[in-house]
Amino acid sequence: MKKRSLGLLLALFLLTIAVTGVSAQDAVTVEIYFPIAVDSPITEILNGYAEAYMAENPNVNIVWSFEGGYPDVKTRLLTVAEGGGEVPALAIMLATDIYDLRNAEVIQPLDSYASEDYLADFTDTWLSNSYYDYDGDGTQELYGIPFQRSTVLLYYNADLLAEQGLEAPSDWESLATTAEALTSDSREGILVPNSWPYWVFQPFAAGAGQNIVSDSDVEVFFNNEPVIDALQYWVDLYSVYHATPEGVQSNWGDAPGALVDGAAAMIVHSSGSLRTILDNADFTVGVMGIPGKDGGQYTVTGGGNLYMTAGIDDATAQAAWAFVEWLTQPERTVDWSIQTGYYNTRDSGFDLDAWKEYASANPQVDEARSSLDFAAREFSVQSLGDVRDAFHADVLSVLNGEMEPAAAMADAQEKADAILSIFQ
Amino acid sequence: MTTAAGTHPLNRRKKINLLPYLLILPTFVFIALFTIYPTFSVLQSSQEYYHPNRPNRTQETDLNLPGIEEASRSIRGPHDVGLAYFRAMLDPSSPEGEVFFQVMGNTIIYTVITVPVTMLLAFVFAVMVNRSLRWIGLARVAFFYPTMLPLVSAATIWLFFFTPDYGLWNVALKALGYSGPQNWIINRSLGLWALMIVSIWKNAGYLMIFYLAGLQGLPQDVYEAADLDGAGWLTKMFRITLPLLRRTTLFVSVIAIITSFQNVDHAFVLTNELVTGEADLLLYEIYKQRFVLGNYGFANALTVVMIVVLLVFTMTNFYLSERRSDEQ
Repeated sequence: MKKRSLGLLLALFLLTIAVTGVSAQDAVTVEIYFPIAVDSPITEILNGYAEAYMAENPNVNIVWSFEGGYPDVKTRLLTVAEGGGEVPALAIMLATDIYDLRNAEVIQPLDSYASEDYLADFTDTWLSNSYYDYDGDGTQELYGIPFQRSTVLLYYNADLLAEQGLEAPSDWESLATTAEALTSDSREGILVPNSWPYWVFQPFAAGAGQNIVSDSDVEVFFNNEPVIDALQYWVDLYSVYHATPEGVQSNWGDAPGALVDGAAAMIVHSSGSLRTILDNADFTVGVMGIPGKDGGQYTVTGGGNLYMTAGIDDATAQAAWAFVEWLTQPERTVDWSIQTGYYNTRDSGFDLDAWKEYASANPQVDEARSSLDFAAREFSVQSLGDVRDAFHADVLSVLNGEMEPAAAMADAQEKADAILSIFQ
Repeated sequence: MTTAAGTHPLNRRKKINLLPYLLILPTFVFIALFTIYPTFSVLQSSQEYYHPNRPNRTQETDLNLPGIEEASRSIRGPHDVGLAYFRAMLDPSSPEGEVFFQVMGNTIIYTVITVPVTMLLAFVFAVMVNRSLRWIGLARVAFFYPTMLPLVSAATIWLFFFTPDYGLWNVALKALGYSGPQNWIINRSLGLWALMIVSIWKNAGYLMIFYLAGLQGLPQDVYEAADLDGAGWLTKMFRITLPLLRRTTLFVSVIAIITSFQNVDHAFVLTNELVTGEADLLLYEIYKQRFVLGNYGFANALTVVMIVVLLVFTMTNFYLSERRSDEQ
C-alpha cells in the first residue's frame, strides 16, 4: 500500500515534469531590444501590443528588453553576441547602422521571410537604408524592416508669420528673409541644431541638388558645388541675415523648447518632436519640408528599423518574424504613429479610418506625411562613424568661421575617400 | 585531535597560516578574474588589429599602420600587428597619433586644472566647517552633498545650468558682463571647461572629508603654544596647519589625480554632441574607439596607456601611505 502510493506519487511527479517540460518547449520566447529614450510613453504602448499578441498566440512569449537609446541597444547587442551570451531575437536599431551590424555578423537577411506584397506596401523611402550586398555578389539582401521612423521638418510659429503678413517660406531666399524679419532681441528667426549636423544638413544639400550620399555604401558627395552652396547658406543665415546665432550654438535638445517658448520663430527638427511641440505650443504650429534652393521641399529619412539577430534557432526566428509582420500591420503602424508621432510606414495605413480621423484633427500630421514624397536617403556608408566624424569636423570648422566651405568640403572628401578606399 | 595539535607547535603554525590565505581567497579570486586577467588580456589584444564592423574581404593592404608590410589580408582581421598601435600613437601624423595627442592633451589640461582647484576648495571647505558651531553639521552635509550624487545626475543638473539663454550659468555670467558664446557644451574651446566645472563641483566635497579628518587629527598643544607666542591666524595656517597636513595633501592629490582619469560619465551627458574631440578625455576615447568606431586594437592600446598611468599613481599612493604608517 505504502509502496504503491509512493509509486503513484512518483508517476504523478514525472508526469508533471513531462507536461511542464513539453509546454515550456512549445512556448517560444521572442526577446526584443528596444530603445526608449524618447518623449512618448513607449513602454506602455509596447507592453500593450505584446499582451494583445500573446492573447492571440498563447504559445509565444514576447519579452521587451528596454534600453536607453539607440547606441545602448547596439552596444549591448554587440557585447552580448561577442561574449557568447544569449542574443535577443529582434532589436530596433538605427537604419543607418545596417553595414556595421551586418559586418559584425549580428543580424541576418530577411529575404526568405518577407514577401513581395508585404514589402510593396511600405512607403518606398523607408526602405532606402534596408538593403546591403554583403557578400558582394551583386544582389542586395534585405535586413531592416521600417518601424520607428522620422524625417527632418521645418516647424514655424504660424501666428508670428501671420502677424507680420508673411507667407510660409518657399525657397532659400524667402526662408532667410522670413527668418530675418522674425528675429528680434529676444527671438531667433530660425534655429538649426548644428552641433551634430549631418542629418539636418542633408535636406539643404539635397535642396541645392545633391544629397551627400548615393545608394552606394562606399561613396560620399562632400566636395560638390550644391553641398558647398548649402554650407555657405548655413553661414549666410547668421553672417548675412543675422537670423540665427553665430557659430555652433544650437544643440539638438534645446530647439523644440525654444520654439514652444517663443525664443525661436522657426526650427529645423525631427518629425519625432511633432507630438511634443503640438501638445505644448500655445500658437498655431506650421509644418513643412525644408524649402529647396530654388523652390520645392526636401527632407531626409531617419530613425530605427527592426532587425532580426543572427544565431537564433529556427523556431525562434519563425516566431520573431510572425511578430514583426503583426507589429507592422497597417492597423498597428497607424496606432503607433498616432500614439508616438513616428510615421505610419505602410501605404495602406493612410486609407484607414483611424488615420483619416487623426489627420483631419491634426492637419500638421498630413503636412509631415507629404514630406515623404521627397525624402532622400539618410547618410550611411561603411565605417560610418569615422566618415561622419570627418564630415562633422569640417562642417563645424566652417560654422565657427575657421574654414571656407569649399576648402572644408575638399578636406572632408579627401578624408572620407581615404577611409572608404579600404572597401573598394 | 586538538591535544595532538597542541603538542606539536609546527602543526599548529601550519594551521594558523592557512587561515589568512583562506580569508583572502574570495577577494583574490575576484581580483584575479576581474582585474588581473583582463589586464593581461588587454596587453595581448592591444597587439591585435581587429575591426569587426568591416566586412571580411581580403585585399592588398598595409592596414594603414606604421611598420606593417603590405600583404593580402582581410580588412576585418584579426591580425597580429605587434606594437604597431603604440608606434602609431607616438607618430602625430598618423590618425591614431593625432587622436592620442589630442586626447592626452585634453586629459592633462583637465587633470592639471581640476586637481589643484578641487584640492584648494576642499581645504577651504574643511577649514570652514572644522569648528564646533550649532548648525555646522548642516554646512558639512551641504558641502558633501554633491559627492553623494552619481556623476550622471550631477552632469544632468549642470546640463540645465549650461542651457543657452536662460540657463543659470549664462544668466549669472551675464550679470558680470559676459556676452560670449552661450552654449558651452558644444563649443570647441569651452566644452572641456564645462566638464572641469562639473568635476570640481562634484569632487571638492569628497576631498574635503579627507582634509577634515586630517584637521581634526592635528595635535592641539602646538596651537596652544603658538597662541601663547602670539601667532596670528595666517602664521598658524602656513607655519603649522599646512606643514602638518603635508601627508594628507599628498594622499588627497593622488586620489584626485586618479579620480580625474576615471571621470567619464559627465562627458556622456554634457559634451557627447561636441564631435570634434576637443573635450574627449582618455576614458571617453576608449569607449568611442571600441564601441562607436569599432577600432578594437587602438581602444585596447589606449587602455594599456590608461592602466599604466593609473598603476603609477596607485603605486605612488601605496608607497606614500606605507611610509606614513611606518613613520607613525
